[in-house]
Amino acid sequence: MMRSRAAVLAVIALLLATSAGVANPGGESDAGRDYTCGGSCHGDPALSSPSDGTVTISVDSMAFTGTAIAIHVTASGMSLSGNRLLGVFLLGSANGNDDRPEDHGWHILQDPNGGLHNYVLVVVPPSGSITLTWVMLAPEHAGMQNLFASIHHGVNPNPNNWAYSALTMGYSVDVQPVPENLPGFSFDWTPEMRVTGDDSPTVIRTKNATSVSVQWMLDGEWVPHDAEAQMVEDDVWAVMLPATIGDTRMQYQVTTSNGEFSIVQPWLTVGTKPPPFDGGIWDARLQSLAFAFLVLAFLVALQTRLSPWEGRPELDPTEEVEAAQAEEVPPPPPGLEPEPADDYWSRLVSSEEAPGWLWDPVEEEWVADPENPPGGDD
Amino acid sequence: MISAATFHAVMGEIVVGTMVLATLCAVGCTVASLFPGMTGRLSSESMMSTMDKAALAGASLGLAFMPIAMLSGSFAADNAVTNALLYNKFVYSGLALGFWAAYVVGRVRFGSGVWQVRPLSALQGLTAVMAFLMTTMASSIGGKLVRDESLFDILPIWLPSDSATVLNPIISAALLLIGIVALVVVFRLGPKAERISPD
Repeated sequence: MMRSRAAVLAVIALLLATSAGVANPGGESDAGRDYTCGGSCHGDPALSSPSDGTVTISVDSMAFTGTAIAIHVTASGMSLSGNRLLGVFLLGSANGNDDRPEDHGWHILQDPNGGLHNYVLVVVPPSGSITLTWVMLAPEHAGMQNLFASIHHGVNPNPNNWAYSALTMGYSVDVQPVPENLPGFSFDWTPEMRVTGDDSPTVIRTKNATSVSVQWMLDGEWVPHDAEAQMVEDDVWAVMLPATIGDTRMQYQVTTSNGEFSIVQPWLTVGTKPPPFDGGIWDARLQSLAFAFLVLAFLVALQTRLSPWEGRPELDPTEEVEAAQAEEVPPPPPGLEPEPADDYWSRLVSSEEAPGWLWDPVEEEWVADPENPPGGDD
Repeated sequence: MISAATFHAVMGEIVVGTMVLATLCAVGCTVASLFPGMTGRLSSESMMSTMDKAALAGASLGLAFMPIAMLSGSFAADNAVTNALLYNKFVYSGLALGFWAAYVVGRVRFGSGVWQVRPLSALQGLTAVMAFLMTTMASSIGGKLVRDESLFDILPIWLPSDSATVLNPIISAALLLIGIVALVVVFRLGPKAERISPD
């Protein structure tokens, strides 16, 4: 009875434990997302709550059409979950659809993680504050634009399994027509991701530029280094940047010039990605099938070896019996026992008190006298 | 219509659920047969018979659904292997398939008397445990890929999965051929294994 109760309690405990695993505690990966993921679970008022953190945007109030601009989003003071994950959105509106900056004419050159997304997942450092920078090209049509930032995160403990979110007010950017012949990045250019250890030239495409200069520095450095830049063709440049290895982050800044203007572009990060995986789907399928058959064949052979199959040496007792017979001498049948040696009989002593019996002083026992058996006279 | 990912999740849950039942019962049979004096009611004839049948049913059901789960998983991944984790999911699935097939083949070949031969009983139990380990590893990699977390995160064991050994397809084909030939040799040319009649 006690065991049954214990089993039932264990099952109930396991079922209750699953409530800790709702939502997505591992976070949603970097992607293009609308506000609150387009009104999914985090947008549900029953599943979310206002964040206790503060989110601000730092951006120039004016930009020229098609030119690069840096947008800094700072989040601080949030109560976070154990893994300190924070999801950050950069948005052009907060309607729940068509909210991505690209939907409003912006072009993301680089997100804080080196990609091209308006939503990034980051780990907040112990200081509790983090600043993330998006570099975007302003829309090609002039006018007032709004930018929003939103965050969502968990807390620890989180008994209601809520998502905590916050949204900034709209930050206005006045996008004005670009002056004639202003040098800058080409609108269709985005920085390339590089494989760890790759030191091949980084290609930069510009417009209206007759020369570029590039500086780079590692995270934590204060003094930038000059990088060599060569023109490959008109408005296409090959820049020699050192390779990045492991978690090393490197930033570089391009200055585009044409004699009339010299524009210092925002700092960009060298995005590194792991080397491409060299396995294919059919490689995996074939290897999987091969391992399946190898394991099956090995185990089936082992089963056969261990099973009591007919003719198996261990079950044929002939050898064992023969060996036992060779080692053991069977006792002689009654009446055919071998006779003791002469010295045995010579040590026996007769006694008048026990006629028919001989005394063995070694074994200290009486032995029947074969020549005068006890009771022989009777 | 449901997506391949959802269908794969359903198939995976069926496989893991049935395999849990099969593993528990197989291990129960092994323990009861190896230590009959220490297991009390577990080693009773009726309990052994129940566990043996449940293990066989669970393993057979899981084995039937495993190829479906593997195929649907492949479609859920758009038939592309882009990282070592996904590649290892295929490899562990294949290993699980091999172990479970060996368990079912062993049980069917020798009958319910398989538990009365101690070496065979131990081998069946070990096979079930290894098969379950491979199955859970494959499914946990799925959790890692989709949710970036898995039950193995809180357990002290985690089999290698962050890097993959990609065999040349020719080597894989050779290994596959060796496996098939070995099976044919065991079944056709090897000694005839007979069903073990229960006492």
